[in-house]
Amino acid sequence: MITGHYKTRYTADEGIWSTWPKQAGLVAALVALAVLPLIANNYVLLLAGQIAIFIIAVVGLNVLVGYTGLMSLGHGAFFAIGAYTTVAVHHEFPNTFPLITLLISIAVAAAFGVLFGLPSLRVKGLYLAVATLSANFIVLFLIRQEWLAEWTGGVSGTETPNAVLFGYELRSQRAQYYFIVPIMLIMLLFAQNLFRTRFGRALIAIRDKDYSAEILGISLYSHKLKSFAISAAYCGAAGCLWAYFFPAILPEDFGLNMSITLVVCLVAGGMGRTLGPVFGTVLILLVPEILKIVFANVTDGDANAQMLFSPMRDIAFGVLIIGFLIFEPMGLVSIWDRFWRFVDRWPFSK
Amino acid sequence: MGQFVQYLINGVISGGILALIALGIVSVFKATKVVNFAHGHLILFGAYFYFTFAVMLPEAAFMPDWVRSWEPEWLVAYRADAPSFSPKAAIASWISDVPRILLGLAGALAANALLALLIERLVMRPLLGQSTFAMILSTVGLIWVLEGSAGLIWTAEAEQVPSLGPNFPIRFELFGANLFLFSGSLFNLLIALALFAALMLVLRYTRSGVAIRATAEDQSTAYAMGINVPRVFSSAWLIASTTGAVAGAILATRTGLSPAIGLFGLSVLAVVLMGGLDSFAGVLLASMLIGVLQAMTQWKLGGEYAEIVPYVAVLIVILIRPHGFLGQEEIERI
Amino acid sequence: MAMKRRTVLKAGAALAAATMAPAIVRAETKQWRVAASLPMTGPFATAGQLVAPAFAEFEQQVNDSGGIGGRPIKVEVEDSGYIPRNALANFQRAMAGGDLHFYFGDSTGFMELVGPTLEGDNAVMMGSTSFASSLANPAERPYQFMAGPTYEDQFEILLKDIADKGGKTVAFVYSDTEFGRDPIEHGRKVAADLGIEVVLEEVTKAEGADIENHVTKLAQANPEYTILQGYVTGVWPQLIGGARAFGLQTQFMGTFWGMEKVIADRVTDQAGPFLDGYQGVMPYRYFYDQEDAPFYQQLGAYKKSINPDFPGYVVTWELEGRLNLELWKLCMNRVIEADKPVTPDNLMAELRAIDNWDSGGFFGQPVDVVDHKIGQGRVYRYSADSKLFTPVSDWIQV
Repeated sequence: MITGHYKTRYTADEGIWSTWPKQAGLVAALVALAVLPLIANNYVLLLAGQIAIFIIAVVGLNVLVGYTGLMSLGHGAFFAIGAYTTVAVHHEFPNTFPLITLLISIAVAAAFGVLFGLPSLRVKGLYLAVATLSANFIVLFLIRQEWLAEWTGGVSGTETPNAVLFGYELRSQRAQYYFIVPIMLIMLLFAQNLFRTRFGRALIAIRDKDYSAEILGISLYSHKLKSFAISAAYCGAAGCLWAYFFPAILPEDFGLNMSITLVVCLVAGGMGRTLGPVFGTVLILLVPEILKIVFANVTDGDANAQMLFSPMRDIAFGVLIIGFLIFEPMGLVSIWDRFWRFVDRWPFSK
Repeated sequence: MGQFVQYLINGVISGGILALIALGIVSVFKATKVVNFAHGHLILFGAYFYFTFAVMLPEAAFMPDWVRSWEPEWLVAYRADAPSFSPKAAIASWISDVPRILLGLAGALAANALLALLIERLVMRPLLGQSTFAMILSTVGLIWVLEGSAGLIWTAEAEQVPSLGPNFPIRFELFGANLFLFSGSLFNLLIALALFAALMLVLRYTRSGVAIRATAEDQSTAYAMGINVPRVFSSAWLIASTTGAVAGAILATRTGLSPAIGLFGLSVLAVVLMGGLDSFAGVLLASMLIGVLQAMTQWKLGGEYAEIVPYVAVLIVILIRPHGFLGQEEIERI
Repeated sequence: MAMKRRTVLKAGAALAAATMAPAIVRAETKQWRVAASLPMTGPFATAGQLVAPAFAEFEQQVNDSGGIGGRPIKVEVEDSGYIPRNALANFQRAMAGGDLHFYFGDSTGFMELVGPTLEGDNAVMMGSTSFASSLANPAERPYQFMAGPTYEDQFEILLKDIADKGGKTVAFVYSDTEFGRDPIEHGRKVAADLGIEVVLEEVTKAEGADIENHVTKLAQANPEYTILQGYVTGVWPQLIGGARAFGLQTQFMGTFWGMEKVIADRVTDQAGPFLDGYQGVMPYRYFYDQEDAPFYQQLGAYKKSINPDFPGYVVTWELEGRLNLELWKLCMNRVIEADKPVTPDNLMAELRAIDNWDSGGFFGQPVDVVDHKIGQGRVYRYSADSKLFTPVSDWIQV
């Protein structure tokens, strides 16, 4: 019976993809991601792009909520800041290289992240959640203002630029997919590695008990703010890609609805794990669409039937979320763990 | 100065409704440590139930006529010489609506109470022992379930419902300005405050009220003292749903019945946190403050500023007092 | 409805097909496809639920009479929850499902979001619920149109009506949404040109506004006329009711979405005759005004034939959806008659060429499509006694 993996070196112990089935799985996933645009249509690519962007944002949220233990209901604001920074940069310098814009968006969002993080030094838990929620509303309020409308488009939103890479404009969703997904993978890798560093472990210590962490010599002050900054930076990057991906943005795209969706994705996937956000986002964004396809086939798009089925779809989605919390409170990632335990111990697993 | 008083009155009136909504969130939080994101949708159900029992049911064929419109002779005589839009006419039409208003309120309270018990039993109870985070998110899931169910049952109708109290303008002069308010709004405010006060008394003086407070203080100790904690949870949800039903009925009379009522719950969250999640008095204070501030902002700056007032205010307050006005500070031990 | 195994299989197969079918492999068109996003859940579910039947009936009516150019049509309706991003996904899914010949969007936000992508293979003729001014723009939005005047036009009609009656002061009360703000700037300009003073601009919430405050401000400003913009089911009836009870003499006016008889009637039933005298601009005839509207007579007879309980009134929101579909049908017929291929460009060319068209009663006079919109409308007044909106102006061309 296999009870563990035999390792002879520390590097092997630290490896992210430690076993060969995992390595094979990784390669398969990468190949699938690379091949998907060749066989998929625009609809699938729209969803794929959207999911990839959301994954970046949820991974960012995970840094703050999952690893540092600080609650936020305001990450839609960072998303908005990233997106509107991109629009503003292109408004001032139309031919900016997309990766430069991405870095600027990240920097601006991170700066706002520090600002948003200031309350976290005094406020915890739900109070912090509502503080960030308030900040989210205030940011959107500013975006809607007329005196910023030259850069933001004000209430009526604005059209967004397309990314231009070396003279090639990324117009089609297929091209944008190949721009977005590599960035997503790099950012995932970064997040995974972050928590193998001293800094990352310090954040985890803060999550587990902040006073204890402080006694151990971890500066709560700087670590919480840095965590906010990193988390916001991820959302800023997501916002930047969002602006490139969609042809137009509106302030209300980034409201409470988005902030809550991000949290739901995180919890459904599993907090404090790198793959949690990936699973959660795929589940939460795909399920409504799958329900729509299934219901549309049952009703054949008939308007009268849809009047009944649309509310039922909402109910089904809500029941799914609740069901998950009841039966799989640690998120999808725990199913994933069980799966790999099964694979590891096969053929002795039951 | 006169104008100032006018907006003060307006603010207090909307503050009263905020307080009634906030009451439900606080009572659930106090007992169960769960912030109910779906409270707005509980209110939405209350509003639709009120509509069902006050408008749809009286029009059913088997209901006697006097339920739909009660017209005793003295009322007809009283009404006869009242000009339209006069207080007299408003009172007369309200009296003839009284049977169905009462039916509507009774029905809404009962149906919403049943709904809350169902939610508590089917959703919250199985999650006992899980992290509060999971419980809070399950209330987020509830939003979809409730919104979808309302759409299914009432096909998302936009309807009108009879006002709870007689609705006529009251005018008076103060500091040289003509002031006014609607009697209906005043009536709503009184109901809200009366409910608030009644609840405080219940919590202070009845057995189950003491049980709720004990559970709020310390769950495990409450268990050890022989308090039936799950029943306390149920009663907290009952309080939330019944006050929510009244709030829903009031909102429906003020803004018309539509699925948009569900959105109110979320905006009240800021108010609740500002007052302190576990303090009824703090929340009442915060509701009034926000109501008045919003009215003043609407007066001086306009509607787009009024909408973010609660959020700016809560941010300022919790930066200065991290647990709201009167919220209990959590003592952490390592 | 029980999900039979076959249904599940069918859905699964369709799921796979929808996911994997490359855009290139498309079956030859056997039928004309129309798809729509409607807000059947979420805050504007009322509107979506009321509009939806128009699509099912249109499909049936057209197919019963032999389809368009001999081919049947298929109408697919999907819910958006009033979220533009969801509507975009609906649209892309409809596109992936085969040739699409018309799309009906549910919000200005969606139309703006999808607008820039409508080009080449992605182009589809597209109508919507929105009358936002930015959508009547053939240069920027070559495939989008509206079946009526823009909100700016509607504002202009109202302001001109006020000027004709010698009005001197007006207040704009609007919701803090894109929909509410759309015509305000234009309104200010027109008011200035006409010599009408805008004494108050009041921004309210789109739903659940604080009526007391707004009425107080209205009373202070004391305008002769008050124009309401950006409301659908709520706020406008309560605001008018509050102002009436208070005794304000100001004349309230509204635009398309705030002019629905069903809502006005319910207010009258439950709260009293507060809306008596409310005026507003409506691009179309109300459905009960059937005398000179052969199309309404037919539609009414048809509705009666499939539903004996049909009460005899069709909401204006449904009429808007229906008119969009009728315009598309007209363009289809003309393209097919001219023996041209049915492409979005040809359809839009026919739309732009609509001139002196007899709408069968939607509009009082023959209409032209100029700048992808139909600039006609009429001012109506609501009477709480008859519960009808009756015209108080001639058909106005803008």
